[in-house]
Amino acid sequence: MNKTVKWSVIATAVIAVGVGIYLAQPPALTEASPISFEILDKEKNVVGQYIVPDDTAIPQEPNAQEILYGKRLMNETKRLLPEHVGASMNCSSCHVAQGKLNMGAPYFTTSNSYPRVMPRAGKEVDLTGRINGCFQRSMNGKPLDPDSREMKAMIAYIDWVGQKVPKDQKVQIQNAGKINENLVPDPMKGKVLYTAQCASCHGDNGEGLKDSRGDIVFPPLWGDESFNIGAGMARTYKAAAFIKYNMPMGVQQHGAWGQGGVLSDQEAVDIAEYFTHMPRPDFAGKINDWAKGNKPKDARY
Amino acid sequence: MRILHKSLIAAAVLFAVAYGGAAVLPKTRVPDTVTSVDLNNDELIKRGAYIARTADCVACHTSPNGAEYAGGLAMETPVGAIYSTNITPDKETGIGNYSLAQFIGAVKHGVRGDGQALYPAMPYPSYAIMPDEDLTALYAYFMADVKPVKQQNADSTIPPVLNWRWPMAWWQLVFAPERDFVPDPNADEEINRGAYLVEGPGHCSACHTPRGIAYQELALKLSDGDEFLSGAVIDGWRAKSLRGEARGLASWSQEELEQFLSTGRTDKVAAFGAMADVVQHSTQYFTPEDISSMAKYLKNLPPVKGRETSMAAKTDTTTGDLLNGNYTSRGALLYTEHCTTCHRADGKGVERIFPALDGNSAIFANNAQSVIQITLEGGKMPETSADRMAFTMPAFNHLSDRDLAEVINFIRNSWTNQAPEVKAVDIAKIRHFVSGKAPHINATGDQHE
Repeated sequence: MNKTVKWSVIATAVIAVGVGIYLAQPPALTEASPISFEILDKEKNVVGQYIVPDDTAIPQEPNAQEILYGKRLMNETKRLLPEHVGASMNCSSCHVAQGKLNMGAPYFTTSNSYPRVMPRAGKEVDLTGRINGCFQRSMNGKPLDPDSREMKAMIAYIDWVGQKVPKDQKVQIQNAGKINENLVPDPMKGKVLYTAQCASCHGDNGEGLKDSRGDIVFPPLWGDESFNIGAGMARTYKAAAFIKYNMPMGVQQHGAWGQGGVLSDQEAVDIAEYFTHMPRPDFAGKINDWAKGNKPKDARY
Repeated sequence: MRILHKSLIAAAVLFAVAYGGAAVLPKTRVPDTVTSVDLNNDELIKRGAYIARTADCVACHTSPNGAEYAGGLAMETPVGAIYSTNITPDKETGIGNYSLAQFIGAVKHGVRGDGQALYPAMPYPSYAIMPDEDLTALYAYFMADVKPVKQQNADSTIPPVLNWRWPMAWWQLVFAPERDFVPDPNADEEINRGAYLVEGPGHCSACHTPRGIAYQELALKLSDGDEFLSGAVIDGWRAKSLRGEARGLASWSQEELEQFLSTGRTDKVAAFGAMADVVQHSTQYFTPEDISSMAKYLKNLPPVKGRETSMAAKTDTTTGDLLNGNYTSRGALLYTEHCTTCHRADGKGVERIFPALDGNSAIFANNAQSVIQITLEGGKMPETSADRMAFTMPAFNHLSDRDLAEVINFIRNSWTNQAPEVKAVDIAKIRHFVSGKAPHINATGDQHE
């Protein structure tokens, strides 16, 4: 063999080995890409990013046990607090993906939003009061003792989700998506849509679905075990905004629940009108609501 | 030098013979029958339409959002993507000019109308056992009842040399013999009908049987060897073992198999990946008799020699831990946050809505590839007339490779599940594969992921 041949063979071998090694290299590991939102100061300057925290970060918190307990109470409210929950509902039934979904009633900015004056109450409400509002309306149950371990744990979880963003800064999130409130609902169309889009999970009679242990899988949308008439969800446009962006679940290949994005505003309003106006428990405290006026047009009383 | 010379000449001669032979070989495979087919025979067309369902032509020959049978679906192979072709009766871009003999040549023997060999992405080694009467009905259906669509076929993404078609002629000689269906004399008529559907038109083995170095299926029927339907990886999905073993179909009842094939779900599982297409386009249209035959045949398949036939007993401690807030691992925390809402603390899912993870043979398969891919990409159940809604699984590709490995290991080894561990690098590999998939093509020129 002459030199040229020899060197060509060696060169080819080196290249082949190189290519082989290159091809055998496993691809680099990908890190998480969490969802984030801009944080604005009072002058609307971007001063940082709010990153939706992952539960795997909880164990590093000094009050990890309290936060985890709070999270469990939110996810399994009915099972863990049966004395306080009358309906077959959990906090996470409406606060989608443990209160970590934009437009799904998230807890992102909740800690910083209270105390505040609520039009419905006509006075200042603090976070405990707000949570107890949910217990008495959406859960059709009884309030928690504001100093109880349970209330403190739930607030610890909400505080943790909020990630200690300073109170004078605003995270650019939406608690609820937009819906055209000028649309006139058609409950008859809503009934047909309900059967096609909702009843597979929530039942033909709105009865919801429980698992073999009796725990809630899909909450009842009307009847004795549903939220009462004082709940925000009992209002047509509030419910429509919720379902347009968060329902049905399991219909998209993205999003925490694979949720939303299939109903038009009109369809969401039609469905909402239909199911919110089906029979449901009354709310005794309703006489005090909107005592100072400002009653919204979809208020139930 | 003389030796070099001689070997060069020998190589050239060999190449010429191989190349020349390849031009002749396919012609020997095409039947020379000149039968006229009555394209106005409604009964024949209807039978052909059913046979098209049993052969699931539409699933591969239609791209997402594309026209039926117009081709353009990318099929991943280890060396690149092959695009399925237009098999509508369009005379210019489809098979409108095919004679019955050419049609049979293509479907059963892998020879195109122009005499070129087809890649074995087309499952002609399976279709080979279909009787010519069925092919005649199929031909009548395609010519008379399928809407012609003008859509050019796309070239494969296989690199030059590897994309040479002529060596396929020799491949066919070795790996795609002409053959007929041989019924098992010891099995009843129903099982034999099931065997025919599975081996032939159903071409189950195209995905569920491992392939050799030349991309050939290692067995085309049970008597060929224990590889038959023993599980394989195709298009990044792991097609499960269909054999009667613990990680095969041992955990399935015949009734569950029937439900699965006709509706895409059982109370425990749901079809996903390529199998969702199979149910949606093919098996949901099978007659109850054919469904039952297939299920019965599959349930009768023996385990592969040496594989476990039952799982070791395991007590579920996971459900209690999750319900009590006892998160024993990072995987458990991830599961609670991302999976519990649908798949539940007991891993049992919700009947016909969200599949169970506990006791689901797709989950505890030795090869975790499907679990990894569906977790990364999400998935969708087939739409069938049996259920009002077909549900999806969202993609969790926003989680890190490490966390995906944690949660997948949790799922595969919690409750009563037992499966080998996956590593973060396994996730990285499949993430890399998924992002490199060739797009599908349809008539509008749109490309779809």
